[in-house]
Amino acid sequence: MRRAFAIVCACASACALAAAHPTTARAQDPGTSVRPFDQKHGGTANVHMLGHAVTSPGAWKAADVELEQDPGRPYVYVSGFVNFDTQIYDIRDPSHPKKIVDWTIENPELHRGIGAMDGKYFKIGSRYYYAQSFQFFQGSPDADLGAVILDVTGLPDPRSVKVVARIRYPEAPGGFHNTFAYKHSDGRVLYFATINQPKALVYDLGKVVSGADSSTWLVGAVPNPTPFKQIGAGGYHDFYVGYDPATHQDKFYGAGLGGYSVWDVTHPEAPTQLFTITGLGLDVAHTFTPSPDGRYAVTETEYQYTPLRIWDLQPGQQGKEQNLDVALSAWAADWRDLSHNHEVRWPYVFVSAYEDGLQIFDLKDPKNPRTDGAYFTCGCEHEHGFGGTPDNGWQSTISVEQGAFGVDVRNSDGLIALSDMRSGLWLFRMDGFKGWNGRDYGMPNISSVQDYDHGPEGAPKERASAGAR
Amino acid sequence: MRLALAAAVLLAAAPLPAAHSGSTLSDAAGPYDIALFSTPTAPAARGHARLVYAPSPFGVAVTADGRARYDVQITASALPAPSTLGAFSSYVAWEVTPDLSRWTRLGVVAKGTSTVGPAELNKFLLVITAEADSMPAAHAGPTVLHGTSPSGWLQSFLTHPLFRGVAP
Repeated sequence: MRRAFAIVCACASACALAAAHPTTARAQDPGTSVRPFDQKHGGTANVHMLGHAVTSPGAWKAADVELEQDPGRPYVYVSGFVNFDTQIYDIRDPSHPKKIVDWTIENPELHRGIGAMDGKYFKIGSRYYYAQSFQFFQGSPDADLGAVILDVTGLPDPRSVKVVARIRYPEAPGGFHNTFAYKHSDGRVLYFATINQPKALVYDLGKVVSGADSSTWLVGAVPNPTPFKQIGAGGYHDFYVGYDPATHQDKFYGAGLGGYSVWDVTHPEAPTQLFTITGLGLDVAHTFTPSPDGRYAVTETEYQYTPLRIWDLQPGQQGKEQNLDVALSAWAADWRDLSHNHEVRWPYVFVSAYEDGLQIFDLKDPKNPRTDGAYFTCGCEHEHGFGGTPDNGWQSTISVEQGAFGVDVRNSDGLIALSDMRSGLWLFRMDGFKGWNGRDYGMPNISSVQDYDHGPEGAPKERASAGAR
Repeated sequence: MRLALAAAVLLAAAPLPAAHSGSTLSDAAGPYDIALFSTPTAPAARGHARLVYAPSPFGVAVTADGRARYDVQITASALPAPSTLGAFSSYVAWEVTPDLSRWTRLGVVAKGTSTVGPAELNKFLLVITAEADSMPAAHAGPTVLHGTSPSGWLQSFLTHPLFRGVAP
C-alpha cells in the first residue's frame, strides 16, 4: 500500500517537475555519480566525525536530536523513539559523549506506539527545560500524552532532572509528532505541536512550567489550510517559527499533508494566513525551513525519489501571490533515496538524509545548490527501513526511512549533532564552519536557535516586555 | 459493536508477519480475542486470551450499570518458572484501565489455559505479572505478557499510519 502510494506520488512529482521546471534537474550537482549502496561508509575529507554513541540496543535507536546552545551547557538530547525514552549526553568532550540521564516513560512495556519522537529545550528565567514529545497508539496507555516537560537546570547531576508537567490532548489521541519551541517577540516562550487534527496547537510554556491550571496552557491554534484533499483531512507534520524583522511579524512555516503554508502568528491567539505552497507532487509535505530573512525556503516531501526543493518565497511574502507552485531548484543526496530533516544556517543546509547520513549543501546560489560534504552513518541495507507495526519489529522491505533522522547545529562553535535510527548519536565538524551568526552572511541572526534571554533579533523591546513573564 | 466486528474482520483477513514479541494479531481471530505480547522479562513467552461471558442466568452477563462481564480464558506457553525471575511464585492476571490508574486482580495464570475474571471494563489492558504470591493486594512484579481488549483496537481515521503517526 505504501509502496504503491510512494510510486504514484513520485511519478506525479517527477512529471510535474519535468514538465514545468526544467531548471530543477539542472540544479543538482551535475555529472555527479551516486555511490553503490554497499559503499556508503565514511565521508568526505572536510567532514570529521568526532564522536559516536550507540544509544539503544536493537534496530530503532533514535528519533530526533537537540543540542543546547549555551557554550556553558554541553548537553545533547536524543529522543529514544520506540524505546520510549530521553537520553541526555554530556558532550564536554565531543570525542567521548557521556550518557548522564536516561529517562523512560513509566511502565514502558505496557505502551505501544512510536514513542519518543521530538525534543526541544527551552529556557524561562534562569531555568532550563526540555520538552519530549510522545506518540502512543489508541488503546495504549498515554494515547493522549503529547509531551513530558523535564526541568534540566541542574545538569549534569542526573538526580536534579525532574518531570514538571505533562501536556495531554485527549481530543485527538496519538500525541505530538513534531514540535517547535519559540521565543515570541512578545516575550512568551511558545510551544507549537503537531496533532491528529488539521491544525497545530500553541502552548504557553511559561504557564506550563509555572504550575498554572492546565486549562490555560493552550493559547492558540494554527489551522492547516492544505489538507490532503483526496482523503479529506490532514494536519501538520513539521514546522518552523521565526521572526521577520522586515515586517515585524512572527511567522509560522508549516508543512502538512497537502502542502505548505505560512501564517502570521504575531498574535498566536488569532493567526492570519499569508500564503501557501501547493501543487502536484507537493502532497505529504514534511519539513519547511526558511532562510533567516524569509526570502528563500527549503522543503521536503516524505516519499522516496523526491529531492529537497528550494523556493523563492518573495512573491508570497510580498503579498503578490497567494500560492507558490514553481520551485527555484532542488537537491538530493541520492536520487534513489529520500533526504529527511534539515537545519538551515544560511547558506548552509545540514541534512539528516536517512540512508545517506549527514549531508551538507549550500545555497550561495539558490538556483544551483551545491553539495559541500557528507558522512554516512547508517550502514544499512537499502529499502529495509522503518515500517509495519511493533508486532513485526517495525521492519519493512520497501522503506528507505532508516539511518539519519535528525540533525542540529550549535551556533557558537559549529558542532553538528546527528541522530541515526540504526546507529545512535553522532557528532561532527565541517572544515571552515566554526559557528554561525546570520550577520556574518548579511542576514538577520535568526535560525531555529532561540535567544531565550533577549527574544528575536529586531523585535521591538517594548513588545517583549509587555508579554514577558 | 458493529465497528468492532468490522475492525476484527479486517485484522483477521490480513495477518501480520511473525511477531518478535511473542504473538501476532492473527492469533486473535475475532472480536472476543486478545493477542498477548511478551516483554524483555520473558521474551519467549507466548499467549492469547478469549473473552467469554461470565456465568449468568440471563445468558449475557452485565453489571448493574450495563457493562458486559467477561471471564477471560488465557492460554500461555513458554512461561519460565516464576522463581527464575526473582522472588516470585505465581503469575497473576490483571484488568488494567488504559491510564494504568486501576489494577484489578483477575486470577492466577498457569501454563496451558486458565480462566480468570470477570473483567468488567469496556476498554482495558490485560496484564500478566509475576508475583510473590497468588493473592497480591497490588501488582508489584515484572510484566511477562500483556494485551489490549478488542474495544481498544478502534482507531481514529487520522491516526492511521498512512496519514500520519508511523512515518517518521
